[in-house]
Amino acid sequence: MSQQSTNFLTWTRRQFLKLFLAGSSLAASSVSVPMVGNASDVRSQVFVGKAPTYDGNIRAIIERGFQELGVSKAEIHGKKIFLKPNLVETHVEHAHINTHPLVVRAAIEAFLSLGARQVVVGEGPGHRRDALHILEESGLGPILYEDRIPFIDLNEQTGYAVKNQGEWTSLSTLTFPGVFHDVDWIISMPKLKTHHWAGVTLSMKNLFGVMPGLYYGWPKNVLHHQGIHESILDITATLKPHFAIVDGIVGMEGDGPIMGSPKSMGVVVMGRNLPAVDSTCARLMGIDPYQVPYLNAAADWLGPINEERIYQRGDSIGSLQQNFSLLPHIPAHQRLRLS
Amino acid sequence: MRKRLLQSTLTDIMKRNLSDGGFSNQPHGMFRPDATAWAMIIFKTQAGHEELVEAAGKRLERSQIIDGRVVLSQDHLDAVWPTPLSILAWQGSSSSKDSWSKAVAFLLQAAGVHWENTDQALVGHDTLIPGWPWSEDTHSWVTPTAMSMLALASAGFREHERVQAGVRLLVDRQIPSGGWNYGNTSVLGKELRPFPETTGLALNALAGHVKQEQIQSSLEFLLEHVSTFRTPLSLGWSILGLRAWHIVPDLAPEWINETLERGHRFDGYDTASLCVLLAAGLATGGLESLLPSVPQESRLY
Repeated sequence: MSQQSTNFLTWTRRQFLKLFLAGSSLAASSVSVPMVGNASDVRSQVFVGKAPTYDGNIRAIIERGFQELGVSKAEIHGKKIFLKPNLVETHVEHAHINTHPLVVRAAIEAFLSLGARQVVVGEGPGHRRDALHILEESGLGPILYEDRIPFIDLNEQTGYAVKNQGEWTSLSTLTFPGVFHDVDWIISMPKLKTHHWAGVTLSMKNLFGVMPGLYYGWPKNVLHHQGIHESILDITATLKPHFAIVDGIVGMEGDGPIMGSPKSMGVVVMGRNLPAVDSTCARLMGIDPYQVPYLNAAADWLGPINEERIYQRGDSIGSLQQNFSLLPHIPAHQRLRLS
Repeated sequence: MRKRLLQSTLTDIMKRNLSDGGFSNQPHGMFRPDATAWAMIIFKTQAGHEELVEAAGKRLERSQIIDGRVVLSQDHLDAVWPTPLSILAWQGSSSSKDSWSKAVAFLLQAAGVHWENTDQALVGHDTLIPGWPWSEDTHSWVTPTAMSMLALASAGFREHERVQAGVRLLVDRQIPSGGWNYGNTSVLGKELRPFPETTGLALNALAGHVKQEQIQSSLEFLLEHVSTFRTPLSLGWSILGLRAWHIVPDLAPEWINETLERGHRFDGYDTASLCVLLAAGLATGGLESLLPSVPQESRLY
């Protein structure tokens, strides 16, 4: 892409998002931003699998998702896989804050069964410096220790800078943790949650946790100053994660991402394209993805969010959809409800 | 803390001493200013390591840029948070006095971004009180503010207006039911929950500045939970926080031993976290009790 067209796109997208954030009611169907990537065919397939409880065979559901999405032994064999769950904080009786350890274990087993050379797990919690404490209290630590799977505290990783491919923020480069030099696939594994600043937090927002706190602070101050929606877009566009597996077995509604209430949804959502996965999750939550600024801005650029352009596999959204509670005093929750 | 365990931990840290004098944060890692500063703080408490500390201090000086800030790396000059740690590490060193002085001067003029909070329901703290940020041009938060207060107090500026403002900031950011998190008491009207490591650190920074009744609920938060912590940062800072207020849990040495022994679960701990835990085992009070004392209100630059 030429420098001129990059600048043009940047100006257009920035202006668009500013308009959106200012409350402009753009009709979903009329929104059009230029495509900068191929968001068609296999990348826009999303799998939704029923998973009523954490006691069930989650690995089998993930393996079915792989099959439906064409993730094969030939593709995974010999690869080093990086799983990035959402670990934020831990509090007694608030397991619904974080990606459930049994979903992480199921994903580890599913990738190993496809011949992955190694699976590693990592997170850079946005609020806390003591990642090990969260790891242990969340129950993920004991599971990784038992399975001999390494955990990497991304906040403490020395990073490497790459050119910002999104250019929504004024950051010319983004610094990613050094471990990413050494992995073949990056998998975002969020929890299905509402978010009091971003509207929803799913596989794209989960990527805040890959940005090392060493450079971005706690709670990732640099990114917050640059704008949450803008930063989500830049990180997704620059990192280009390979896959998403969303823990929607029990999600969080209301005042997410930490103070909300548990919501039993009984789903696992998977796909190669993060905006397609997140917009599907939003619909499952009774939320209009076009009203979530970063998803709207990602549409047809980072991937499809239009339902008609997402090839849905597995169980139907309609049979599983439940309205997540949205709070009237939270500005980011206004106008989100899917009509 | 068992003596043999202390010695083997010091030996482990020593293995991270690089040929240029600095320390890495992990075995076989690259130089890190924070790991170097923490290692200096710990090795200064042990006899016979003067040359090692001196060389580490010189390496740390190379992370300082002209305005006095000590940066995480040369390609992230905005990441200024290692500055107060470096001041603590250089404390009392005659050969690093100039660097120490420049870092103190930088800290006295540096501040986070502050604005008037017109809607207390949005975030529940006074956004105008100046403190210190993790990264330049961002808001002030609990950890960098508390570390900067400790550094300036150790440098003789305990009564300085910036330290006093830091006291106001920490008191304002204390969660009503006790403790501190990263620095928000509430968001959109909902009170948030505290963390052990930031609570222990804030209690260190406030010791001697406020009455115990002002932070009693935070002490109680730690006392209620500290026996369950078995990771270096949560346990280390909790013990240091309690010790800063003359509370010494009887079982603290055992908890430290257990935590050190659990390190294999994580392929060992990083240098900075290990040093926080060792500091908790070695200190007779808060973190300040490990540092060389300097006369207050000295003007050294």
